[in-house]
Amino acid sequence: MFSDLGPIRDPVTLFVDGQAMSASAGDSVAVCLLRAGMSYNRLTPVSGAPRLPYCMIGHCFECLVEIDGIGNRQACLTVVREGMRVRRQAGAPPALEGSVP
Amino acid sequence: MTLNAPLPDADVVIVGCGPSGMMAAVTLAEAGRSVIVLDMQPCPGGQIFRNLEANLCDASPAGQSLLAALGPAYRAGADLIRRFRAFSGACSGIDYRPQTTVWEVRPDGTVGWLQGMNAGYVRGRQVLLAHGAMERPLPFPGWTLPGVMTAGAVQTLLKAGRLKPSGRVVLAGTGPLLLLLANQLHQLGVKPALMGRTDRFSDAVRAARHLRLGGVLPLVKGLGWLGRLKLAGVETVTGLETLAAHGKDGVESVSFTVGGKRRTLPCDLLIVHDGIVPAIDIPNAAGLRLQWDGPNASWRPQTTVDGLGSSSLPPELYAGPCVLRVTGDARKIGGAEAAMAHGVVAAQAILAALDHGMGPSRAALRAVGKALSVRPFLDAAFPPGLARALPGDETIVCRCEELTAGDLRAKIRSGFRNMDALRGETRCGMGPCQGRSCMVTAARLLEDETSAAGCPPTCRGRPPIRPIPLGAVARLSGLDPRATIRLTLEDKPENAPESGPESGPEHGAEDMVDAPAH
Ligand code: FES
Repeated sequence: MFSDLGPIRDPVTLFVDGQAMSASAGDSVAVCLLRAGMSYNRLTPVSGAPRLPYCMIGHCFECLVEIDGIGNRQACLTVVREGMRVRRQAGAPPALEGSVP
Repeated sequence: MTLNAPLPDADVVIVGCGPSGMMAAVTLAEAGRSVIVLDMQPCPGGQIFRNLEANLCDASPAGQSLLAALGPAYRAGADLIRRFRAFSGACSGIDYRPQTTVWEVRPDGTVGWLQGMNAGYVRGRQVLLAHGAMERPLPFPGWTLPGVMTAGAVQTLLKAGRLKPSGRVVLAGTGPLLLLLANQLHQLGVKPALMGRTDRFSDAVRAARHLRLGGVLPLVKGLGWLGRLKLAGVETVTGLETLAAHGKDGVESVSFTVGGKRRTLPCDLLIVHDGIVPAIDIPNAAGLRLQWDGPNASWRPQTTVDGLGSSSLPPELYAGPCVLRVTGDARKIGGAEAAMAHGVVAAQAILAALDHGMGPSRAALRAVGKALSVRPFLDAAFPPGLARALPGDETIVCRCEELTAGDLRAKIRSGFRNMDALRGETRCGMGPCQGRSCMVTAARLLEDETSAAGCPPTCRGRPPIRPIPLGAVARLSGLDPRATIRLTLEDKPENAPESGPESGPEHGAEDMVDAPAH
């Protein structure tokens, strides 16, 4: 769906569902997910439908992911950090499971 | 017992760091006022000048071709950003707080903020809302599929992600931004499979009578874009209707009707756009009065010329006058030039309110008028298209809770005939986006079903209007001791099950300061 205009600059390494990925410093998490060609960042809590970022400016809340153990963070507003741990959200979270690994 | 109000943290708190917010901040700082600027993005510029500083510094071939494609209108923000930065160093007047979201604004000038895992309140003697616009919500079948994105999103990916679309790209909708984006993509070597415009030749004819001198330049620019697309061999259609995206786990094809004929095209990325509208999330939640802007088919805050809003909340809820002003595209869609011009007007009005200066100068007001003079033409040439007709029963309206137009119609018919009741019953507007994507459609459905007329009703916004982690709430700074008491006691005596309506406030009531009446 997207391709790079140029090489990654000042690479930062983050982990998405445990998998290491590099991004340019200053990129948002949403950019990183789209660059990697992920097919979804969350499955909806209602029907489990896949979703990807839609507006990229913080209005639609489709880009929600878990970041460093905290759920429902907007990937399009969050800048990547070295060692950041991102998890895609798979539907409604189970009520009693601790989300921090 | 009385408690003093906390001291203001700055003369002015500005929400948003785009053209209008930066211009107002610079104007205020030049006059020696202290300003706090809260902005969601990591660097100044708003959406139009998004990531401009970094892109200007990038000397690589990729960076240069990106700058060339984004064009002079993008680079035009450099000077303002430089002026803003000059004031935002240590002790230089502007306390700039990037990556900060705002989750509450009160008419008295209290603003709730969140930055990472820290949250709190700041208070300004005056507050300026410069939070900008959003793209018009445009429900159509399949608009929730991965692979459907707005034109603004794709522009953001270019500017701040250095990603360009690939594969089979279809653009659909209307408005200057869509044409601009198509040209930028073309310059970057992306050839869209189709440019599907909802506007028609008749719109252009109707628009012509609104053409003023100020509109000639944009018109020439627009015609140039269209000409270049044609030269590039991009198929363009006008009068596109009933768009739908199809696919299982993402877009695989799109279908639409043009000239009475249904067509289907394979597609990997569907880019949609139906014009931009003021973002009313903050004004609505702050209790500002909204009005319906007919030609733009959207709400906008009701303000004076200099941006002063008026609170629709009952006076007993908030002591003192409303100190909220709205500027830029958040007040009225006008683009960067109008936003900068109005930023000056709003700042001058704020200075007058702070006992400094005479209020907006005639020159500043004239500049706003001039920059806005092209709008009637653009509004007529690019009327809402994808969002014009109400969605069919199968189409999702509320993306968060996956409610269709049919779900909402059924509930409205069964008696949920105002927005808050409809929200309470269906959860439409209660998901993470808090109604940003669905409220206007739900309101139109309600109007349609109840044959109401006038300003479509909104849901009452309540803080937090953006999610805030519990850990951040636990460390909330800058609490107002009066509000703390009020909020703590509010739900005790009056909401306790045993106290009937006649039993009145009970013990502890004397501790309540400016308690809300019910
Ligand atoms: S993509 Fe819309 S909020 Fe992040």
